[in-house]
Amino acid sequence: MSSAVIEVADLVKVYPGGTRAVDGISFRIEPGELFGFLGPNGAGKTTTIRILATLTSATSGHARLAGFDVGTHAADVRRRLGLAMQTPTLDTFATGRENIEFIGRMHRVPGAELKKRTDELLELMGLTEVAKKLAGAYSGGMKRRLDLACALVHGPQVLILDEPTEGLDPQSRTALWEELERISRQGTTMLLTTHYMEEADRLCNRIAIIDNGRIVVEGTPADLKAGIGADTVTLQLEAPGPEDLARQQTDVRRLLEGFVPLEGLTPESFGVSLAVRDAGRAIPDLLRRLDGNGVRVVGLSLGQPSLDDVFLKFTGRHIRTEAANEPISLGWY
Amino acid sequence: MLAAFFYETWHQGVRCTRRFFRVPANWISIIFFPLIQLFVFSQLFKDIIQLPGFKASGGGSYLAYLAPGQIGFTAFFAVAWSGTAILIEYRNGYMDKLRATPIYRVSILAGELAPLFLETAIMAGAILALSVVLGAPIKTGIGGVLVLLALSGLFGMAWAGTSFVPALLTKSEQATGTLSLLFFPIAFMSTAFVPQSLMPGWLQSVNAWNPITFLIEAIRPLMVSGYNWSAIGKAVIAIAVLGVILQSATLWAFRRLAA
Repeated sequence: MSSAVIEVADLVKVYPGGTRAVDGISFRIEPGELFGFLGPNGAGKTTTIRILATLTSATSGHARLAGFDVGTHAADVRRRLGLAMQTPTLDTFATGRENIEFIGRMHRVPGAELKKRTDELLELMGLTEVAKKLAGAYSGGMKRRLDLACALVHGPQVLILDEPTEGLDPQSRTALWEELERISRQGTTMLLTTHYMEEADRLCNRIAIIDNGRIVVEGTPADLKAGIGADTVTLQLEAPGPEDLARQQTDVRRLLEGFVPLEGLTPESFGVSLAVRDAGRAIPDLLRRLDGNGVRVVGLSLGQPSLDDVFLKFTGRHIRTEAANEPISLGWY
Repeated sequence: MLAAFFYETWHQGVRCTRRFFRVPANWISIIFFPLIQLFVFSQLFKDIIQLPGFKASGGGSYLAYLAPGQIGFTAFFAVAWSGTAILIEYRNGYMDKLRATPIYRVSILAGELAPLFLETAIMAGAILALSVVLGAPIKTGIGGVLVLLALSGLFGMAWAGTSFVPALLTKSEQATGTLSLLFFPIAFMSTAFVPQSLMPGWLQSVNAWNPITFLIEAIRPLMVSGYNWSAIGKAVIAIAVLGVILQSATLWAFRRLAA
């Protein structure tokens, strides 16, 4: 018996029609971790989550949650699981309180404790004042928070969240991040999916980048970004015409010859962009080499590798360009 | 195990009942449609009562004849679109949320069906009250009213299968609505408007198998004459047979969708 809260080995899901939505995924989530699946729409994140939540069966492979096999011990898995899906799923004709209490009853939370727990969750999610209003009348952010409260009502050991901030405005997103961080600090193990790099970067202590049904790389956000190497330094050059710009770009290339941290130079319409290792330290020296040599630097910016760069490195594509190609889902397949 | 099933069905039933009655439009259409029917047809066919063969089954006025028919109609319409609610929750993911909780999946379906007894009985009761206000008799008093409401409620639960099966199979609200129109002639062919003896031969044969006719023929005596236990017995059997057939099909379609 291992200590992992979630343990997935060689998971495969082939839908009728032949689509391999999940194509051999393996990972482990230890107690208290906040683990993120980062990947474009259609990568297989939701299917993996549906298998873990006992909503879809796997074609082959194993998935265990809290030590219970999701296929053979579904009821044990469900008792320990809190689930919030991509869009908030609420009974829109029930009030906020009724929504939480109903899910609590399905989980057999005893009466007195349910009342106390519901009060706490309403308070925690800032919904106490609208507790008696129908959930259908809630704003997007309020629906998210109510959905999360429903997922937490039975004090689950594992919280699984599919795209928890999809469709939220920036303020609501930040507020929800803080909420999720707080829940995580209290010891709940969490698995979330996202296609927002910032979200994975900020929230997760470990992420797996998933593409075409496979995990392409896994690690802490810091390690993954460090693996990319160079930072990007862009120099904006002041030039009266294209010939002058071209001359300055050639000058920059000549002046930086033999500059050890430099790994690459690309001419741009605004100047040049440079790939520089450990750019924070290298910049003063870099600017000294360019100074007083007819190169007129009027702007400088420093970009550190993002998870998008990590995604690009491992898949050859940007994460967001895939979003538009998502097929319409007509059912459960 | 059975206790768990009843616990889950009860709470799911309460939730579904609440969901239904919190939509004001549900009240408006379900009450006003039969009301308009009751009012307009009792005027339009006022003199039809003069036809030979009518006196025996009617209570002396066409309103008295029509009112039980409209109660049967109401039981029919109360559940005509009942399958769409479960479909909405299937589509918006709420059913998945329930499926991820440690409950019997069949409790989800049972909780949708059980409140239909109450919904149908309440609506039948509303039409009954209005008929009495307009002058229809209710010979058997409170006991007859209870039998009438129970029969209507049971019929509603059983008949709901005609909406649930298309809903669960097509997964489309539009298709469910369109297909429900196919069942309307069954209601109009019943003895709601005209007694069987005045119908052409082939319609009489059809009505020998029409469950709505069995319902109406059981509740009409309750209003215009007295208990007709033979008719009530036939109605109970008809509803039971209908219920077993339609609900088995519903359960099959539900498992196919949500197992």
